[in-house]
Amino acid sequence: MKIEIHTVVNGRELQPAVKPNQTLLEFLRDELHLKGSMEGCGVGVCGSCTVLVDGRPVSSCLVLATNIEGKQVATIESLAVGDELDPVQQAFLEHQAFQCGYCTPGMIMATKGLLSSNPQPTEDEIRDYLSGNICRCGTYAEVMAAVKSVSEKLAMNLTSPPTAPPK
Amino acid sequence: MSKLGINVTRVDGPAKIRGWAQYTGDIELPGMVYAKVLRSTHPHARLARLDASKAEKFPGVVAVLTRDDFAGQKSTFGSVVKDQGIVATERVRYVGDVIAAVAAEERDIAEEAVDLIEVEYEPLPAVFDPVEAMKPHAPIVHNERTKAESFPSKSGFRLEAGGNVLSVYHVEEGDVGVGFSESDEIFEDVYSSPKIQHAHLEPHSAVAYWEPSGKLVVYSSTQTPSAIRAQLAELFDLSQSKVRVIVPYVGGGYGAKTHLRLEPLVATLARKAHRPVQWVLTREEVFLTAHCQAAVVKIKTGVKRDGTIVARQVEGVYDAGAFALTSTNTARNGGEVSGGPYRIKHQDLKTYCVYTNTPPTGPYRGFGVPQVCWAYESQMDDIARRLGMDPLELRLKNMVQEGDVFVTGDKLISVGLSNCLKRAAEAVGWQGTAEQAPRVLSGKVRGKGLAVMIKTTMTPSNSSALVRLNADGSAVLLTSSVEIGQGTQTSLAQIVAEELGLAVERVSVTFPDTDVTPFDQSTSSSRTIFTMGSAARQAANQIRQQLLEIGAKVLEADIDDLQVVDGFLEVKGVPEKRRSIAQLFQAKYGAAVGNMVGSYDKQTTGGLDPRTGKGKGSAFFFMSACAAEVEVDTETGKVAVQQVVSVVDAGKAINPQQCHLQNEGSMIMSLGSALFEEMVFDNGQPINSTFLEYMPPSMEDHPRQFQSLLVETPHPEGPFGAKGIGEAGLGPVEPAIGNAVANALGGIRFKDLPLRPDRILSGVGSVKGKGG
Repeated sequence: MKIEIHTVVNGRELQPAVKPNQTLLEFLRDELHLKGSMEGCGVGVCGSCTVLVDGRPVSSCLVLATNIEGKQVATIESLAVGDELDPVQQAFLEHQAFQCGYCTPGMIMATKGLLSSNPQPTEDEIRDYLSGNICRCGTYAEVMAAVKSVSEKLAMNLTSPPTAPPK
Repeated sequence: MSKLGINVTRVDGPAKIRGWAQYTGDIELPGMVYAKVLRSTHPHARLARLDASKAEKFPGVVAVLTRDDFAGQKSTFGSVVKDQGIVATERVRYVGDVIAAVAAEERDIAEEAVDLIEVEYEPLPAVFDPVEAMKPHAPIVHNERTKAESFPSKSGFRLEAGGNVLSVYHVEEGDVGVGFSESDEIFEDVYSSPKIQHAHLEPHSAVAYWEPSGKLVVYSSTQTPSAIRAQLAELFDLSQSKVRVIVPYVGGGYGAKTHLRLEPLVATLARKAHRPVQWVLTREEVFLTAHCQAAVVKIKTGVKRDGTIVARQVEGVYDAGAFALTSTNTARNGGEVSGGPYRIKHQDLKTYCVYTNTPPTGPYRGFGVPQVCWAYESQMDDIARRLGMDPLELRLKNMVQEGDVFVTGDKLISVGLSNCLKRAAEAVGWQGTAEQAPRVLSGKVRGKGLAVMIKTTMTPSNSSALVRLNADGSAVLLTSSVEIGQGTQTSLAQIVAEELGLAVERVSVTFPDTDVTPFDQSTSSSRTIFTMGSAARQAANQIRQQLLEIGAKVLEADIDDLQVVDGFLEVKGVPEKRRSIAQLFQAKYGAAVGNMVGSYDKQTTGGLDPRTGKGKGSAFFFMSACAAEVEVDTETGKVAVQQVVSVVDAGKAINPQQCHLQNEGSMIMSLGSALFEEMVFDNGQPINSTFLEYMPPSMEDHPRQFQSLLVETPHPEGPFGAKGIGEAGLGPVEPAIGNAVANALGGIRFKDLPLRPDRILSGVGSVKGKGG
């Protein structure tokens, strides 16, 4: 049995039929072939599968695909427009805030969630917010530096996410 | 401008920050089906009955694999001892042992079908503790063992024939009996380290299919593509040219992804299914597939009143779990250096590797060394305390120096350890004997601690590199080194670029594909920069020589007067007399076409004699120091790490930022195992095998003062002097934190990891109970 839902993923309107037990992560990876969201723990605590649903970060391994009915989903694949990177991606690249890269998409999406609700977080707020994203390579100092640098640029109005050209 | 010592942006960066980087679990092949397995719920049992007929008939199931598929066939494997089956045949040996597998059109169909497999167990007595397992009447985990054909003769350890002891490593120097009798003070302690998880975020994953020609193709999240090719060829009676192993990006491994893991089963299932099969473990299954060897280390040390260490005797017991893998080597590796980086006249060092009915282990970052370092470096501080010496001075007084002969017989070269320790102590404002002053145990108390480490690298070992220079002045390095997060593609590109005088962007580095890329022993043991880096440099140098020879003719100059700079060959001091690489190809081939090729096999030599434990143990030695500061809450027992400084000797930092990233990774990883990481079992049943109950350190655990420092003591054999760095910082973090806790608590010593609040509280309580 499948259930038809209406949703928007990375700006595309979709009307897929999904299995009732299918997670959002499985839907993204298996049906839409968006392989940027990663499964690390399957129980919603490592953050590798973080995507934005209506602008808020969620662990897509814990959300059923049926729950995104009427909602907007954004994955790591939606951030860059053509060659233009999102400022958070740019900062992660410049600060070398990754090693094996497996947690990186989730870490970047969580950072997007943080900065959209709190553009000027304190160091404590960053630590607290990103504590749900595990990086076993231990690249936390560089992630912290990257997040702070985006926040500082936001404060000076130096940066904004790339926007897609009109269709 | 040199391409070395600079922080080149990582070549894998753009893919990784876009979510574009491909890992094995991302692969989709036409017709691909999915594997799920049935695992034992008993720690030790005879498989009385196994019936998979219902699973076979389940709609959507493509193939089912049980012991019936292997009747009379070769189905065991292992790098040292062939003790692992593709599936269990007669017996299961730990909770999680694979009994059967299903391949189905969808993952949940495979999962449902696995539930339909009927199995009856006849429970057998089991043993979970390696020290218990060594006792005479302990249940036996493996009745017989077959040595692997490829087993190297100079591994240093002795394989035992029966019982649960798998191997013994033993090395001696002088006579500890004499040494102890000459000592003024004797210290005897027992230290323990629990089983811990690698917790790489990417689970073990593999995809396999068989080409109609009979060639086996495997994609795997492995650190050892060449070894896997050889072992799969042996297992399936194929020539190595009929096995192709491809490794995309690997999402962390830290040792857990070495040697055969998922590949034998997924390949067998694919053969039966006639379809590509993908198998990706769940997190709980990762917990049942590999972990770090728990160890119990007895250490006895005799010292003179002036702090001279006279004698040291160590007996370490490493828990291999249910299968050997390379735990034998891990135990040896710990044993070799269990006396520490000190000049000790009389040493007797012995380690055992022992089977238990617990999940199999894997090499874990540090490869057996953190377990002994925890013991000898904790005890060093107790020695200093009893002698009234500064722990820093005690270490420096006994420390190995350049040119010393180590207990293994190795002559130590490129020794920067004293320098590392002094810098670490300085960075935390070390105050000498005052650090061990008495404390009042109330509220929150602070303390600092120091520790050092010495570690070997896999020796002998082999890495081959092949470099192709294109006519446009770009180059490709073909290598089987795995990009596992350590930045190897970037640093190897830097080495080739430096040797060929090219911009780093003009050098690309392949992913391992054993059909194309040459042999590499492994991406482990922090050996890539040293061994593959040397091979890559030499391969590039061969091309450099070709360019110089062509250039000497074209420019009518002496080879010694030529240099390669930014894609041009020029006469030194006469930059207008130059030729582009394209022009040199023109000169050679009559057109700017073709390749110039260089290839080099780097073989490090050595090995240890199993009878004496001596020989040449290591192509180079890792050395590092750590200083930590903690705050211990005497009311709650919680340890907060305020500060960690790690100083490692990189030889030459090819890419300093990557060195720091690797070192910071070691630091935060061992902070977790110092404070809270441990796998817990109840009669062999794992009880914390998800990230809900077993959590690696997060950003909140990251100390606010956190510093990685590099010392550069060039190694003559390393490329441009470089040594490995990936594991160097790991060992001393646990004892540095332990020593800081002991100093904070006025000398209360904790000998069991991790430093859990309940342990701290009971330690504090016992002192308060005594003294009031």
